Amino acid sequence: MLGIRDAEHEETAPDAPTLFISKLVCSLVGKIQTIKIVPGSHAYQAYGQEEVTEQFFCNYGLNPAFRNKIGKEQLKITGVDLDGEVRIVELSDHRFYVATLFLPQIFSRPGSPHPLIVAYLKAALAFQTSRRDSGIKM
Amino acid sequence: MNQLLQVGVIGDYDPKLRFHISTNEALLNAAETLSVSVDTSWIPTESLASGLIGKTLKQFDALWCAPGSPYKSIDGALRGIQFAREQGWPFIGT
Repeated sequence: MLGIRDAEHEETAPDAPTLFISKLVCSLVGKIQTIKIVPGSHAYQAYGQEEVTEQFFCNYGLNPAFRNKIGKEQLKITGVDLDGEVRIVELSDHRFYVATLFLPQIFSRPGSPHPLIVAYLKAALAFQTSRRDSGIKM
Repeated sequence: MNQLLQVGVIGDYDPKLRFHISTNEALLNAAETLSVSVDTSWIPTESLASGLIGKTLKQFDALWCAPGSPYKSIDGALRGIQFAREQGWPFIGT
Protein backbone atom coordinates (compact mmCIF):
# COMPACT_ATOMS: atom_id res chain seq x y z
CA MET A 1 0.00 0.00 0.00
CA LEU A 2 1.28 3.39 -0.88
CA GLY A 3 0.38 5.69 1.95
CA ILE A 4 0.19 9.40 1.45
CA ARG A 5 -0.24 11.64 4.46
CA ASP A 6 -2.70 14.40 3.93
CA ALA A 7 -1.62 17.96 4.54
CA GLU A 8 -2.19 19.18 8.06
CA HIS A 9 -4.56 22.10 8.19
CA GLU A 10 -3.19 25.05 10.16
CA GLU A 11 -6.21 25.12 12.41
CA THR A 12 -6.11 21.41 13.09
CA ALA A 13 -5.17 20.58 16.64
CA PRO A 14 -2.06 18.43 16.90
CA ASP A 15 -4.00 15.43 18.05
CA ALA A 16 -6.85 15.80 15.61
CA PRO A 17 -7.49 12.74 13.49
CA THR A 18 -5.85 12.64 10.13
CA LEU A 19 -6.88 10.24 7.48
CA PHE A 20 -4.24 8.50 5.51
CA ILE A 21 -5.13 8.23 1.89
CA SER A 22 -3.95 5.10 0.25
CA LYS A 23 -3.86 4.14 -3.31
CA LEU A 24 -4.67 0.50 -3.00
CA VAL A 25 -2.91 -2.11 -5.00
CA CYS A 26 -4.90 -5.26 -4.76
CA SER A 27 -5.90 -8.20 -6.78
CA LEU A 28 -9.61 -7.58 -6.49
CA VAL A 29 -10.14 -5.93 -9.83
CA GLY A 30 -13.49 -7.06 -11.18
CA LYS A 31 -14.03 -9.40 -8.28
CA ILE A 32 -17.42 -9.77 -6.64
CA GLN A 33 -17.44 -10.30 -2.88
CA THR A 34 -19.85 -10.87 -0.05
CA ILE A 35 -19.66 -8.09 2.50
CA LYS A 36 -20.91 -8.38 6.05
CA ILE A 37 -22.40 -5.15 7.37
CA VAL A 38 -22.23 -4.05 10.99
CA PRO A 39 -25.68 -3.51 12.52
CA GLY A 40 -26.35 0.01 13.68
CA SER A 41 -24.09 1.61 11.10
CA HIS A 42 -25.12 3.98 8.32
CA ALA A 43 -24.29 1.18 5.92
CA TYR A 44 -26.70 -1.14 7.73
CA GLN A 45 -29.36 1.51 7.75
CA ALA A 46 -28.90 1.87 4.00
CA TYR A 47 -28.78 -1.80 3.07
CA GLY A 48 -31.26 -3.08 5.64
CA GLN A 49 -29.45 -6.39 5.79
CA GLU A 50 -26.26 -7.92 7.11
CA GLU A 51 -24.90 -9.53 3.97
CA VAL A 52 -24.58 -7.85 0.60
CA THR A 53 -22.70 -8.41 -2.63
CA GLU A 54 -20.47 -5.79 -4.21
CA GLN A 55 -17.94 -5.51 -7.02
CA PHE A 56 -14.40 -4.17 -6.71
CA PHE A 57 -12.11 -2.23 -8.94
CA CYS A 58 -9.44 -1.48 -6.40
CA ASN A 59 -6.83 0.01 -8.62
CA TYR A 60 -9.06 3.00 -8.94
CA GLY A 61 -9.63 5.60 -6.42
CA LEU A 62 -8.29 7.46 -3.53
CA ASN A 63 -9.81 5.70 -0.62
CA PRO A 64 -9.72 6.99 2.93
CA ALA A 65 -7.87 4.45 5.01
CA PHE A 66 -7.32 4.61 8.69
CA ARG A 67 -4.45 4.61 11.03
CA ASN A 68 -4.48 2.57 14.19
CA LYS A 69 -3.66 5.40 16.51
CA ILE A 70 -6.71 7.43 15.90
CA GLY A 71 -9.67 7.61 18.00
CA LYS A 72 -11.20 4.32 17.23
CA GLU A 73 -14.18 6.20 18.51
CA GLN A 74 -14.07 8.18 15.33
CA LEU A 75 -13.46 5.82 12.47
CA LYS A 76 -15.55 2.70 12.47
CA ILE A 77 -15.21 -0.38 10.35
CA THR A 78 -18.73 -1.13 9.22
CA GLY A 79 -18.27 -3.66 6.44
CA VAL A 80 -15.86 -6.58 6.06
CA ASP A 81 -15.51 -9.40 3.60
CA LEU A 82 -15.73 -13.03 4.63
CA ASP A 83 -12.03 -12.99 5.56
CA GLY A 84 -12.52 -9.99 7.80
CA GLU A 85 -10.80 -7.53 5.45
CA VAL A 86 -12.07 -3.97 5.73
CA ARG A 87 -14.47 -3.00 2.97
CA ILE A 88 -16.50 -0.10 4.44
CA VAL A 89 -15.52 2.56 6.97
CA GLU A 90 -17.60 5.32 8.49
CA LEU A 91 -17.02 8.26 10.78
CA SER A 92 -19.08 8.23 13.92
CA ASP A 93 -20.21 11.65 15.06
CA HIS A 94 -20.93 12.69 11.51
CA ARG A 95 -24.29 12.90 9.80
CA PHE A 96 -23.15 10.70 6.91
CA TYR A 97 -19.54 9.93 6.07
CA VAL A 98 -18.99 6.57 4.39
CA ALA A 99 -16.11 5.21 2.35
CA THR A 100 -16.15 1.93 0.46
CA LEU A 101 -13.53 -0.08 -1.31
CA PHE A 102 -16.04 -1.29 -3.86
CA LEU A 103 -17.99 0.78 -6.36
CA PRO A 104 -21.68 0.87 -5.45
CA GLN A 105 -22.41 2.83 -8.61
CA ILE A 106 -21.58 -0.23 -10.71
CA PHE A 107 -24.66 -2.05 -9.49
CA SER A 108 -27.04 0.85 -9.89
CA ARG A 109 -29.78 0.67 -12.51
CA PRO A 110 -32.75 2.86 -13.37
CA GLY A 111 -35.52 1.76 -11.06
CA SER A 112 -33.03 -0.14 -8.95
CA PRO A 113 -30.67 2.36 -7.38
CA HIS A 114 -27.95 1.35 -4.96
CA PRO A 115 -29.13 1.60 -1.33
CA LEU A 116 -25.96 3.34 -0.14
CA ILE A 117 -26.42 6.05 -2.72
CA VAL A 118 -30.08 6.45 -1.79
CA ALA A 119 -29.07 6.79 1.87
CA TYR A 120 -26.41 9.32 0.87
CA LEU A 121 -28.97 11.45 -0.99
CA LYS A 122 -31.40 11.19 1.92
CA ALA A 123 -28.66 12.58 4.15
CA ALA A 124 -28.09 15.34 1.62
CA LEU A 125 -31.79 16.20 1.63
CA ALA A 126 -31.89 16.38 5.42
CA PHE A 127 -28.75 18.49 5.41
CA GLN A 128 -30.15 20.87 2.82
CA THR A 129 -33.33 21.28 4.84
CA SER A 130 -31.47 21.91 8.08
CA ARG A 131 -29.29 24.55 6.47
CA ARG A 132 -32.29 26.26 4.92
CA ASP A 133 -34.17 26.17 8.21
CA SER A 134 -31.22 27.74 9.98
CA GLY A 135 -31.25 30.49 7.44
CA ILE A 136 -27.75 29.71 6.32
CA LYS A 137 -26.90 31.53 3.14
CA MET A 138 -26.20 28.95 0.44
CA MET B 1 -42.59 20.28 -6.19
CA ASN B 2 -39.35 18.54 -6.88
CA GLN B 3 -36.51 19.23 -4.47
CA LEU B 4 -33.17 19.82 -6.19
CA LEU B 5 -29.96 18.48 -4.71
CA GLN B 6 -26.54 19.78 -5.62
CA VAL B 7 -23.91 17.07 -5.46
CA GLY B 8 -20.24 17.93 -5.84
CA VAL B 9 -18.01 15.11 -7.06
CA ILE B 10 -14.38 15.70 -6.18
CA GLY B 11 -12.47 14.34 -9.11
CA ASP B 12 -11.20 14.96 -12.62
CA TYR B 13 -14.02 13.85 -14.86
CA ASP B 14 -13.02 11.59 -17.71
CA PRO B 15 -15.80 10.48 -20.05
CA LYS B 16 -13.66 7.51 -21.04
CA LEU B 17 -13.87 6.13 -17.52
CA ARG B 18 -17.05 4.12 -17.19
CA PHE B 19 -16.92 4.51 -13.42
CA HIS B 20 -17.28 8.23 -13.84
CA ILE B 21 -20.27 7.86 -16.11
CA SER B 22 -21.81 5.31 -13.78
CA THR B 23 -21.32 7.67 -10.84
CA ASN B 24 -23.46 10.29 -12.55
CA GLU B 25 -26.04 7.73 -13.58
CA ALA B 26 -26.21 6.14 -10.14
CA LEU B 27 -26.96 9.52 -8.61
CA LEU B 28 -29.77 10.03 -11.12
CA ASN B 29 -31.17 6.56 -10.36
CA ALA B 30 -31.19 7.21 -6.63
CA ALA B 31 -32.69 10.67 -7.00
CA GLU B 32 -35.48 9.35 -9.16
CA THR B 33 -36.42 6.78 -6.52
CA LEU B 34 -36.59 9.55 -3.93
CA SER B 35 -38.61 11.76 -6.30
CA VAL B 36 -36.04 14.52 -6.17
CA SER B 37 -33.75 16.03 -8.79
CA VAL B 38 -29.99 15.95 -8.60
CA ASP B 39 -27.53 18.26 -10.26
CA THR B 40 -24.07 16.67 -10.27
CA SER B 41 -21.00 18.85 -10.70
CA TRP B 42 -17.47 17.56 -10.94
CA ILE B 43 -14.97 19.61 -8.98
CA PRO B 44 -11.50 19.47 -10.53
CA THR B 45 -8.97 18.45 -7.89
CA GLU B 46 -6.59 21.21 -8.93
CA SER B 47 -9.23 23.79 -8.06
CA LEU B 48 -9.15 22.58 -4.46
CA ALA B 49 -5.39 22.44 -4.13
CA SER B 50 -4.87 25.85 -2.63
CA GLY B 51 -6.68 28.84 -1.25
CA LEU B 52 -10.02 28.89 0.46
CA ILE B 53 -12.19 26.08 -0.80
CA GLY B 54 -15.10 26.46 1.58
CA LYS B 55 -16.99 28.88 -0.59
CA THR B 56 -16.88 26.48 -3.53
CA LEU B 57 -17.77 23.40 -1.53
CA LYS B 58 -20.55 24.99 0.50
CA GLN B 59 -22.65 25.32 -2.63
CA PHE B 60 -23.19 21.58 -2.53
CA ASP B 61 -25.56 19.56 -0.39
CA ALA B 62 -23.25 16.58 -0.45
CA LEU B 63 -19.76 15.68 -1.62
CA TRP B 64 -18.46 12.53 -3.31
CA CYS B 65 -14.86 11.53 -3.79
CA ALA B 66 -14.75 9.86 -7.15
CA PRO B 67 -12.97 6.73 -8.21
CA GLY B 68 -10.30 7.22 -10.81
CA SER B 69 -6.67 7.98 -10.27
CA PRO B 70 -4.23 9.47 -10.58
CA TYR B 71 -5.88 12.70 -9.59
CA LYS B 72 -4.34 15.79 -11.08
CA SER B 73 -3.98 17.07 -7.55
CA ILE B 74 -3.97 14.63 -4.65
CA ASP B 75 -3.72 17.58 -2.29
CA GLY B 76 -6.88 19.02 -3.79
CA ALA B 77 -8.74 15.77 -3.31
CA LEU B 78 -7.49 15.47 0.27
CA ARG B 79 -8.49 19.01 1.12
CA GLY B 80 -11.96 18.36 -0.23
CA ILE B 81 -12.30 15.18 1.81
CA GLN B 82 -11.03 16.99 4.87
CA PHE B 83 -13.63 19.73 4.40
CA ALA B 84 -16.41 17.15 4.28
CA ARG B 85 -15.11 15.48 7.40
CA GLU B 86 -14.52 18.61 9.46
CA GLN B 87 -17.52 20.63 8.34
CA GLY B 88 -19.98 17.75 8.51
CA TRP B 89 -20.94 17.60 4.84
CA PRO B 90 -22.65 14.36 3.77
CA PHE B 91 -19.88 12.41 2.09
CA ILE B 92 -19.30 9.19 0.26
CA GLY B 93 -15.96 7.93 -0.99
CA THR B 94 -15.92 5.04 -3.40
